[in-house]
Amino acid sequence: MRVLLVEDHVELAETVATGLRREGMAVDVALDGSDALAHLALTDYDVLVLDRDLPGVHGDQICRSMVAERRDGRILMLTASGSIEDRVDGLSLGADDYLPKPFAFAELVARVRALGRRAGAASPPALVHGDLRVDPAHRLAIRGGQRLALSPKEFAVLEYLLGAAGRIVSAEELLERVWDENADPFTSTVKVTIRRLRAKLGEPPLIETVTRGGYRI
Amino acid sequence: MLYSGVFLILGILLLAILILSVRQSTHGVVVSAEGAAAKLVEPHVHVHVTTGGSTLTATPEALGLEHARARAHQLGAVAVNVNNSDLHHLLIWSVFALAIMAVASIGVGWLLAGRVLRPLQVITAAARELSASNLHERLALDGPNDELRELGDTFDELLARLESSFESQRQFVANASHELRTPLTLERAILEVTLADPDASAASLRAACQRVLAIGEQQEQTIEALLTLARSERGIEHRQPLLLDAVTRQVLAERRDELERRGLRLDTELADAPTIGDPRLVERLVANLLDNAIRHNAPQGWVAVTTGVEGEQAVLSVANSGAVIGAEEAEQLAQPFRRAGTSRIGHGDGHGLGLAIVSAIATAHGATLAVLPQATGGLRVEVRFPAR
Repeated sequence: MRVLLVEDHVELAETVATGLRREGMAVDVALDGSDALAHLALTDYDVLVLDRDLPGVHGDQICRSMVAERRDGRILMLTASGSIEDRVDGLSLGADDYLPKPFAFAELVARVRALGRRAGAASPPALVHGDLRVDPAHRLAIRGGQRLALSPKEFAVLEYLLGAAGRIVSAEELLERVWDENADPFTSTVKVTIRRLRAKLGEPPLIETVTRGGYRI
Repeated sequence: MLYSGVFLILGILLLAILILSVRQSTHGVVVSAEGAAAKLVEPHVHVHVTTGGSTLTATPEALGLEHARARAHQLGAVAVNVNNSDLHHLLIWSVFALAIMAVASIGVGWLLAGRVLRPLQVITAAARELSASNLHERLALDGPNDELRELGDTFDELLARLESSFESQRQFVANASHELRTPLTLERAILEVTLADPDASAASLRAACQRVLAIGEQQEQTIEALLTLARSERGIEHRQPLLLDAVTRQVLAERRDELERRGLRLDTELADAPTIGDPRLVERLVANLLDNAIRHNAPQGWVAVTTGVEGEQAVLSVANSGAVIGAEEAEQLAQPFRRAGTSRIGHGDGHGLGLAIVSAIATAHGATLAVLPQATGGLRVEVRFPAR
């Protein structure tokens, strides 16, 4: 899942980004409004975590322009203004969720994930395929009763392929949706990850390689 | 009501005077009639009886004495009767007229009061309805340009001033809560993210604890600054003579190390500058100005501090080199939580309240504050206290 975090407080942004990355999300950080808009122009994010009080371009303005352009990404407003009026205001602007500061980190993660589910087709909280069971909220992948030890990237790729529900997913798409902006598009990181994932998933093989197409579960 | 009552009383007074005067004149008529009858014993006396503008004349020779006397009596009686009935009529008609006028005056008074005084009712109703939530409304009275309209317009101006003062207070509270919540959010995030890592090493845990401690210190400073601001705005508690130059020397001494560490050059010219005020607050003012000058400086820059007396004022001036600041921006810098440039919170040290506190302390001391950008970059801040 690709997340854009827009927050002008550097230390807070880095801390939250680290936490979200540990949860398997690909997180990009923008420190002000215009930086955020630049990021949004380049990439389709699943969830936008937006601080309202930004220098330069105000968070509300970013929300408005995303709504006006009918972008797919969901918006979670994260801000110190937590009064009822502020929340109503923010949600009326087009935000999909509103979390006042200070917040519990676990709640932020849960809400971001919930919004990520809603982007695109509705997918169930736990993904099941044959004897494979994947629970994104708890970062659990179980096959045949055995818990799989997957790295964050492997888990994210598995989650994405399952979410595609049989559709062919190209390597480029995986790179775009599962890795953040710092990924080098010319490395074979996707191939390597798929290989490792296959190894861990074991028999019978679940991931199918479609020539010139991509991968499919 | 008031005017109708007054009108009634005056009317009754008028009526009374009128009736009395008429009575007086009729009495005169009767007396003159009797007098005339008495005089008939004198021959060749013409008797004139005047009533209602006509005169009756009788002479003794023409009528015979007895006859004349009787006639005179008759005339007198008739005159009295006529006058009495005239008087009666006058009285009745007057009372009638007074009654009608009284009713009319009540009616007209009611109408006028309603029409003319309606603006007053509007103002009263508006004042009653006033609360913090509808200060944006205005009376906007239309009508002739008279005193009532002036009252309405003045009331609107008052509302505008109230609204702006409420708005700036609301803004301050919003900013202050933001400034206080942000460190809390950060502390929480650091602790939660660190704890969520099952493989957290002792080193990373220690690092997280130290970061939280540092943020806690920042919070303490922000809270202290907010309290100082509130205190300064309340006014001065202790007023005593003090020397600006002495205070400045003290504050500078405490910052020598910092200046050295940052490689900043310090130029001072501290002439005597006696004034009156709260030593603690004045020390805070000088400290804030110096801290700002040190913090927002250029590498290898300079800080220039002067004190002295200019005319009736004790002047403190703190100038520093640094980034170029626009005139408009410089004006805004004394606002709470305002910083130069686009960064607001979390960038660099400082909580954005320094100049706001300086401004509040200056005002409490009856001093003026001038924040002047320098063409070559940086700021010059002048505070002018009333000299002792």
